[in-house]
Amino acid sequence: MFKNVSLGRYYDTGSVLHNTDPRVKIVLYLIYLIITFMINTWAGLLSLALITVLQGVAAKMPPKIMISSVRPVILLALFIFALNAFTQRQGTPVFQKGIIMVTDEGLKTAFFMSLRLIFLIMSTSILLTLTTTPLKISDALEKMFSPLSVIKFPVHEMAMMMSIALRFIPTLIDETDKIMKAQASRGADYDTGNIISRVKGYITVLIPLFISSFKRAEELATAMDARCYRGGEGRTKLNPLKLTGRDAFVALIMLIGAGLILAADFLVK
Amino acid sequence: MSTDIINCKDLVFSYKNDVEETYDASGNPLYGKALDGLTLSVPRGSYCAVLGPNGSGKSTFAKLIDILEAADSGDMQVLGYDAKDQDHFWDIRENCSYVFQNPDNQIVGTTVEEDVAFGPENLGIPNPELRERVDKALEYVGLRELALRQTTELSGGQKQKLAIAGALAMKPTLLILDESTAMLDPEARDEFLELTERMRKERDLTVLAITHDMYEASRCEKIYVISEGKLFMEGRPEQVFAHEERIRSVGLQLPVHISLTNEILKMCRVSATPEDLKTEQSCIAKITETLRNKLPAVCPLKVRGDRPEKGRKIMSVEGLGFTYDDRNGTVLDNMDLDIYEGEVLALVGKSGCGKTTLITHLNGLLRPQTGEVTYYCEDGRTLRGSVKKEVGELRKYVGLVLQYPEYQLFEETVEKDIAYGLKKQKLSDDDIRFRVREAMKAVGLDESVATKSPFELSGGQKRRVAMAGVLVMRPKVLVLDEPASGLDPRGRKEMFGIISNLRKRGTTVVLVSHNMDEAAEYADRICVIKQGKIEASGDPDELFESREKAMSVGLQLPRLYDFSDALKASLKEVFPGIVFDRPQRDYKREASSIVRSVIVYRGGKDV
Repeated sequence: MFKNVSLGRYYDTGSVLHNTDPRVKIVLYLIYLIITFMINTWAGLLSLALITVLQGVAAKMPPKIMISSVRPVILLALFIFALNAFTQRQGTPVFQKGIIMVTDEGLKTAFFMSLRLIFLIMSTSILLTLTTTPLKISDALEKMFSPLSVIKFPVHEMAMMMSIALRFIPTLIDETDKIMKAQASRGADYDTGNIISRVKGYITVLIPLFISSFKRAEELATAMDARCYRGGEGRTKLNPLKLTGRDAFVALIMLIGAGLILAADFLVK
Repeated sequence: MSTDIINCKDLVFSYKNDVEETYDASGNPLYGKALDGLTLSVPRGSYCAVLGPNGSGKSTFAKLIDILEAADSGDMQVLGYDAKDQDHFWDIRENCSYVFQNPDNQIVGTTVEEDVAFGPENLGIPNPELRERVDKALEYVGLRELALRQTTELSGGQKQKLAIAGALAMKPTLLILDESTAMLDPEARDEFLELTERMRKERDLTVLAITHDMYEASRCEKIYVISEGKLFMEGRPEQVFAHEERIRSVGLQLPVHISLTNEILKMCRVSATPEDLKTEQSCIAKITETLRNKLPAVCPLKVRGDRPEKGRKIMSVEGLGFTYDDRNGTVLDNMDLDIYEGEVLALVGKSGCGKTTLITHLNGLLRPQTGEVTYYCEDGRTLRGSVKKEVGELRKYVGLVLQYPEYQLFEETVEKDIAYGLKKQKLSDDDIRFRVREAMKAVGLDESVATKSPFELSGGQKRRVAMAGVLVMRPKVLVLDEPASGLDPRGRKEMFGIISNLRKRGTTVVLVSHNMDEAAEYADRICVIKQGKIEASGDPDELFESREKAMSVGLQLPRLYDFSDALKASLKEVFPGIVFDRPQRDYKREASSIVRSVIVYRGGKDV
């Protein structure tokens, strides 16, 4: 049931985006995040869509993978769409029956809100999770936040914890799946019954999952100890982050893309 | 430089935390003293095995070497440094590498090369040396092409190779393998062992392998047996294995070729010297020579293979196919299989051949994509896996115990956990209590544990609780995925004892195993699965009648059959025209059968 979750999943195609410095990608991601919420014209939305698709092509992502990364939020997007469409009262009504009223403004907001969410997920996937290994993301965050270590903020430790958490997501998903199967074969039922009995049913998954996670954590800690882990001091990196001309080039192209979206949004009416 | 790489004297260690439990690598609680005056020394450059039952303190010993724990008292010298000397802490740890049992819990990196680099990065190795070490280590273990692959996508065998690469990249002097092969299938295990042996020769490593696998131990140069925190025996494999009684007294077993040799020699009232047991060839030579000169006075009775009548067909799998949508590749390919009432059916095959997918279909956890899984009730009704309404009832008749079932326990007491599956059925408290006791008895759990927390129990006992939790539903067919994995030799034997008892009480048992030896010994019928298809099936003595026959269906002979096949070939040279019975399932019967054939041949008189 969790097989389609793409959170933290990395998909290697060896594209130029995969090889771009993760710090550059994080900054670009933030820029595109802001843009996604700034645009409010159709032209802007269309150009955002176009550029997102182009990014996907640049990342050599198969459409199947893109779709599977968006799939988990489609339901949420539909919910946001309905919520906006039915609650917005401004604008001219296009549909009215009893107290249900849908206005053109409402529809537009609904479209924008739900598509924004989808583009948000797509750019998160393309710029970050699918093209960047969790370890690189945490490397980047570690570097970007390293000034904070002056005020004794444990930057390295936080980054290490994050990358381990991400590394274990697929393992824990597998484990959850296994435990659910085991309980189901002794009569547990997670799909029927009222909400209380369903929540209760999940306890039979959560307790074993917690116990084994603690056990894993302990074993992993021992294994890290055995591999001479002693914090960030004096540690070297196999693939140290280094900004190159190519990173600058990617950044430039992406910034031009961002500029084009904004231009379209402001100028084309 | 001393000739010993490890030197310890009177080591005592106890896990301090007595509120919470502490477990060894196999999940067994360690109470009291884990080490109780351990004294031993390991020669530099050797390949040694540490044997001992679960909870004997062998993992604790290994952890003390790498200073992952510190001894309460006693002396420990590793690589010539005193383990208590803080100044040399990193000198020891940087030169010892440790590979653990569970491949999943020692991988830190998301990609293969990131993980290999983790150790040397911690050592502060700068580039380009770091890059070179990583590449070389990956090259060495044969994972170079997968360098950028996700670690979670690797198979179990590949993950352990990755762990080895991670260790190699740190350029250790001493490599500790803590049951590193326990979770691997035979092929992956053999590859792993070959890799270790090659590495030791080429890299001048000292290898210390903690293991339950006697075959693995017999490949080593020296064996240490630890029991109750003390050194129990030490010596070359053949020296240790010559003391059969002592080995068995601590719950360990001998490699099967040695068991068979000892058994035959015992019948002839001859005892084996360590020299005789050195290799399989020397064992065969000794047996041949003995049987030539000194036959036992009494001829053993003819061994009857207890082949039961085939029961009625209780389940069938027809044309079953299964494909994962996210991974390209067929897991099950148009599979047909019949299961007969009262039999023990073993499904064997490599990891990833589709065994587990097949059995998850048997109780309807996975529904057939194509084909059908049918259960035939006694009253003539049929229950099909593809019909949603019938799956619920199918699950009542077919119980499934997945691998490492102890991880599914969650209740406060053993009793409650076992009763979990019954709660949905409208049963009186007395009925539930009765059935819980019945299930506990079936798996050999003492009544006194009923009110204990399942988490207080040992690994083996937890597994029994989990099995009881399925048996309490009174399934007609019990499906077990690797029921003995991770258990020590005694635990394995007990587990198969439970299975034999269930069979005697009329439960049909389907078990998945990658251990051909156990399948051959305990199953009535074996089904070999290869790439989602049934490659061969039949009685063990039919399948393994001869090496040629087994090879023709791509089977490796179980070790007993393999050795006995070689032995019979040698005997045929000495006694031309001798006729042997079909191979027997365990070494005792096989010994009788062989001795009997020789007596009949030489005396010409059939008794």
